[in-house]
Amino acid sequence: MEPTEYHWNALIVFYLFTAGVSAGAFFVSGLATYLGGERYKRISRIGAMIAPWPVMLGLASLIFDLTKPLEFWWLFLTLQYTSPMSIGAWLLTLFTVVSLIYFVLWIPRPWRDLLRVPQQRRDWRTPKAWKPLDQARINTARRVVAAIGAPIAIGVGMYTGVLLGAVPARPLWNTPIVAQLFLVSAMSTGAAAVLLIAAVLRPKGGHDSLHEERRFLVSLDVMLILVEIFIVLPFFLHQALSTWSSSSSLRILLGGSYTVLFWFGFILLGLLIPLAIEGFELFPVVWREQAVKYSRLWAGLAATLVLVGGLVLRYVIVFAGQVSHFLPLYTR
Amino acid sequence: MDQPNTSPSQRRWVFVMEPERCIDCEACMISCSVENEAPLGKHRNWIDKIEKGAYPLLSTTFLPENCQHCSNPPCERVCPTGATYRREDGLVLIDYDKCIGCKYCMMACPYDARFVNEEKKAVDKCTFCVHRLDAGLPPACVETCIGHARHYGDINDPNSDVSKLLARYPSYRLYEEAGTEPAIYYIYSNRVIE
Repeated sequence: MEPTEYHWNALIVFYLFTAGVSAGAFFVSGLATYLGGERYKRISRIGAMIAPWPVMLGLASLIFDLTKPLEFWWLFLTLQYTSPMSIGAWLLTLFTVVSLIYFVLWIPRPWRDLLRVPQQRRDWRTPKAWKPLDQARINTARRVVAAIGAPIAIGVGMYTGVLLGAVPARPLWNTPIVAQLFLVSAMSTGAAAVLLIAAVLRPKGGHDSLHEERRFLVSLDVMLILVEIFIVLPFFLHQALSTWSSSSSLRILLGGSYTVLFWFGFILLGLLIPLAIEGFELFPVVWREQAVKYSRLWAGLAATLVLVGGLVLRYVIVFAGQVSHFLPLYTR
Repeated sequence: MDQPNTSPSQRRWVFVMEPERCIDCEACMISCSVENEAPLGKHRNWIDKIEKGAYPLLSTTFLPENCQHCSNPPCERVCPTGATYRREDGLVLIDYDKCIGCKYCMMACPYDARFVNEEKKAVDKCTFCVHRLDAGLPPACVETCIGHARHYGDINDPNSDVSKLLARYPSYRLYEEAGTEPAIYYIYSNRVIE
């Protein structure tokens, strides 16, 4: 056995993270459009404005990680249906296109008036007239694109985990729980990105709408963080009670070189502290039915921590997984 | 060496290793690197050292290893461009032009048989010396092995060296639990410790 080297580095971590943020932002935006309509309009818009860019940066970093970056187009000459990476390359391209269309539909005025549809000519001599889209049509288009994009966004979120989970040779990755964890983490980091931008931008409009949107984002994030915690717990139980190779692969997270980063960087900073901040804010809303207090500082802090936690999670899993290995049982 | 007169699709090239005969001289690594021009510091084959027991009851077994040319290769399954493919006689090979160097196959290989060849800007590994095999010659590592620890042949031909060895001695393969169906068979060592 050759000594273990890291062949997938920070660029892959960044790629998995950004794809997750994009998928999450898109999904949250679509969810807000369907659940709130006008009430959550700002959230929908911020999500749509974010969605296309991180994934494009991520795809660029994936391409730079190749030994032949200029020949990446080989990926798009074929569909290898047994290879998660091939399916993922197509899925991410599709998602980028859909999220760009969605982005265009959410562009605010006055740029939105650049979106025009041709009118029917009266006769052949008059030139075609192009009129701006009316609001009703745009609303329908936003809903349709959000509905088409939602399953694709879920697919992208899941793909980032399946990419790692599909290799039996790495026992730390080869569990269905990695895909679940990455999907929920993608949604959570997407919601956090929206929350962060919403907190940084000077809020417009009345306080009522701000409370509404804040409550929506924070309760969504709390829910996702709780789900993440209840995915991490069975992950450790499952691995610890599994075969020798699987249980040994946990050692790197329980006393090995990634222990501090995982438990401090992801579990504490990325899950528990944001959960505490957001839970503290949400508590009076749920139990005493008061309005949520709008503190941009706390919201920004919680969102930043969730984003950092998502990055740390992917860093730890990508690097620790490469060290994990079948144990040599062949000492005969 | 024996070259069967069957059609390629009926053949299944395998290695049979006798760890008892390996003395860790690493001549196979040298001849492979010379034959296949592996870049400095990278090797297509290697010797795994298995240490057993505690002083004074000790033993070391040398396992010659290289790409296992699996019947169910995980590297081929995950390759996004189809650069890694399986020839009809079972050899797992790489189309270096199609390989874009995503390194996913290196994640998928339980044997860590693959490496990045910076000169080719592609992932590289043992080819079973396919150019020699097709010319009727044995792989370079087999030809050079001074202890006759390495054997090669067609396992579907009952008269081949490897079939005879496997019929005579019990053997095992590495990480069979990964479901890869590797094509390197190891003859059990006779050495008893306790």
